[in-house]
Amino acid sequence: MTVTLSKQVNDGEKNTVTKAKNPFWTVFSSTFLTIFAAEMGDKTQLATLLMSAESQSPWVVFLGSALALIATSLLGVMIGYWLAKRLAPKTLDLTVAMLLLMITGLLIGDLVS
Amino acid sequence: MDWQLLGLSFITVFLAEIGDKSQLAAIALGGSSKSPRAVFFGSITALILASFLGVIAGGGMAHFLPAQLLKGTAAICFAIMALRLLWPDSES
Repeated sequence: MTVTLSKQVNDGEKNTVTKAKNPFWTVFSSTFLTIFAAEMGDKTQLATLLMSAESQSPWVVFLGSALALIATSLLGVMIGYWLAKRLAPKTLDLTVAMLLLMITGLLIGDLVS
Repeated sequence: MDWQLLGLSFITVFLAEIGDKSQLAAIALGGSSKSPRAVFFGSITALILASFLGVIAGGGMAHFLPAQLLKGTAAICFAIMALRLLWPDSES
């Protein structure tokens, strides 16, 4: 999947970059915003915060935490990708919608507690 | 490099994350999006930034951070995504 970026140079003015309509950045930003918002003040962040506060080397804790987050995200996306391959589109949409509603419920649970 | 601490923090966060909201989101979004790669990068950037803020701000973060507000908006966003999947024809 090559990212095509067509560049238009206007003489004199600031050159405008017209991005080919590719889903990467839209999906990236929507994923980033929703997960970042959900993660702020979440138990994983608190765990990292507490561990780094206690230890003398917070950056080692940060590195361990970052690696773990990459591992679980990779695992998650691969499971999602594997599901997408195995389930019929209709059932996939239903499963994903259920998962998303579950997350909404968990978030509301956090809010309430 | 304190390998023991690295291992400990890796395992702690890994176990905390398994089955956590962000991993469910990675599964859901990874399965339903046109580019799982974007979901992966979006997810790790968000998670690493969040833990980076945690390390930087330490305890003081809770005061100036509207975590409740952020969680509320995230809940709404996830609900909207779910509804858009359940009623695709309502999409423009």
